[in-house]
Amino acid sequence: MLIMKLALRNLFRNTRRTILTVLLIGCSLSALILTDAVLLGMVDVMIESLTKTLSGEAQVHRQGFTDNYDIDLYMPESASIESTLENDPSVAAYASRVISGGMISSSYNVGAGLIYGVDADQERHLSKLAAAIIRGHYLQDSNDILIGEPMAELLEIKLGDRVVITQAEANTGELSQALFRVAGIFKFGVRELDSNIVFIHISQARKILGISQGSHEIAILFHDVSSADLDPTGLLSSLTNDTTEALGWRALNKDIAAMLEMSNYSSLIVGAILFFLASLGVINSMFMSIYERIYEFGVAKAIGTRPFDLFRLIMVEALFLALLSCIFGVLVGALLGEWYATNGIPLGEMEISGIAMNNNIPTVLAWHQFTNFPAYVILLVLTAALYPARFAANIIPTDALHRSL
Amino acid sequence: MTNAVIKTMEVCRYFGEGETLVKAVEQVSITIEPGEFTAIIGPSGSGKSTLLHLVGGLDNPTSGVVELSGTNIANMSGAQISDFRRDHIGFVFQAYNLIPVLSAEENIEYIMLLQGIAGPARRQRVQEMLELVGLNDLGSRRPNQLSGGQQQRVAVARAMASHPDIILADEPTANLDSKTGIALLDVMKDLNETHNMTFVFSTHDEKIMSRASRLIHMEDGAVVHDERR
Repeated sequence: MLIMKLALRNLFRNTRRTILTVLLIGCSLSALILTDAVLLGMVDVMIESLTKTLSGEAQVHRQGFTDNYDIDLYMPESASIESTLENDPSVAAYASRVISGGMISSSYNVGAGLIYGVDADQERHLSKLAAAIIRGHYLQDSNDILIGEPMAELLEIKLGDRVVITQAEANTGELSQALFRVAGIFKFGVRELDSNIVFIHISQARKILGISQGSHEIAILFHDVSSADLDPTGLLSSLTNDTTEALGWRALNKDIAAMLEMSNYSSLIVGAILFFLASLGVINSMFMSIYERIYEFGVAKAIGTRPFDLFRLIMVEALFLALLSCIFGVLVGALLGEWYATNGIPLGEMEISGIAMNNNIPTVLAWHQFTNFPAYVILLVLTAALYPARFAANIIPTDALHRSL
Repeated sequence: MTNAVIKTMEVCRYFGEGETLVKAVEQVSITIEPGEFTAIIGPSGSGKSTLLHLVGGLDNPTSGVVELSGTNIANMSGAQISDFRRDHIGFVFQAYNLIPVLSAEENIEYIMLLQGIAGPARRQRVQEMLELVGLNDLGSRRPNQLSGGQQQRVAVARAMASHPDIILADEPTANLDSKTGIALLDVMKDLNETHNMTFVFSTHDEKIMSRASRLIHMEDGAVVHDERR
């Protein structure tokens, strides 16, 4: 107990220095908590944007369809899959789609793109298509077509204008055409989607392709996004067989998943830099404190204090320093993190790797920021204190006693 | 079989080498018996403090043997010699003896804590020691709230607290005024006479010399005169 008391009092011999050191370490911890919270928030926003804009958190396709979007690789039995999804409690929404490449012609111009035949009702619950309409209305009549703003500009069309879709039929390859009227202009904010995709009713898409039933894709949203990670006992596994494959968003977007994975290392790098700088501060502070007390340590050793006792004293001082820093750092990190979690960090509209980020990024506070990070700080401060503590333990009494008088 | 508290045999302590070699202590053989009140005296640089450090196990001799209560302390490891000093030797230095962030009581308690003495026994002995040096009412004060003489008395109390075989005092009165120095010496002399505590001083203070039962004169690292009174 006396050792604890001694360590605590020693720490506040030079209050200004201790406060500055606590600020240095504490602010590093707060910065790390905030950095991690921002990255988690950014990842969440990116995942949400990626999955909820159009693609869903998982998709079911015929095996091989995603390789080159071959229109012949549709799932004739998609209705039974829809029935399975309908009865699965983990599924929040799903939408069946017929997807094919085609040519879209107006009176003035011609463009190529992907024609998405969608179930208007299912799609409303799954994607942001309905919300992305900036002019006109959502799919209603059977010959309605929704066109992205850039494509509308390319085709020089406006609401109510007519366009013709030309594409090859499934199975036969015969050319097929259909006339549509522009019902709505949409803007997801992702150029790749806005420039290359048009939406029509799924029944019309089937008709043009010459298929009576089935679909190329069924997109799924779960109540819990973690269900989208392929689990041997999960829904996606049960939907994967010789003819169909069900993949989560990570498997469908490997590049983006890898990029998000890398963001985990960002915290590590920021933490390493911050903690390296903080550890230099700790070593400096501890050494200054030791140099001021060299004579005292000489006396302490002369009267019988073991080298280990001095080592332990310095380590206990370092532990108190770390604990104070953690309390400060956690409080500041939690307050700032909570404020930004509510208000978000405004980054404006931007697109990262084809993912639209239109909203403020709210920070995400997680337990590991308040358990693991402070534990790292304590470990770091104790590690940084090892050298000064060893120095103090090895002080030779006669040298110390000659030194400061 | 000897019961000497300190016995040195041809102890030498050299610093540096070659042309810069300094023979701080040269072939010193002395024996200190229990209950002696000994002053090692001599001019500055005569080697008295170095000899005190050698017999206190704070420094290792270049050659020779230093025995404390029959134990050769020359070849002890760091932790062994620390324990030995803690249990057998009390130290009083010239100044800044005390840990400034601990009260007088806690400073005295500290050494007993190192010895592993239980809390109640520690606290009882602290009060006894404070009474012994006449500071019963000042136990809760920190060193900066005590006068120089009071601080030195606390240092004596701390030295006594561990039940040492001997107390080594290096210029204990050097930073005190004459009156305070005499008062401190009276306390130490009283402890010597009533508790048979052995004291060895390194000093050139006339007040200590006049009270010492033995004077060991040193010059150029060697004992030139050993006078018992």
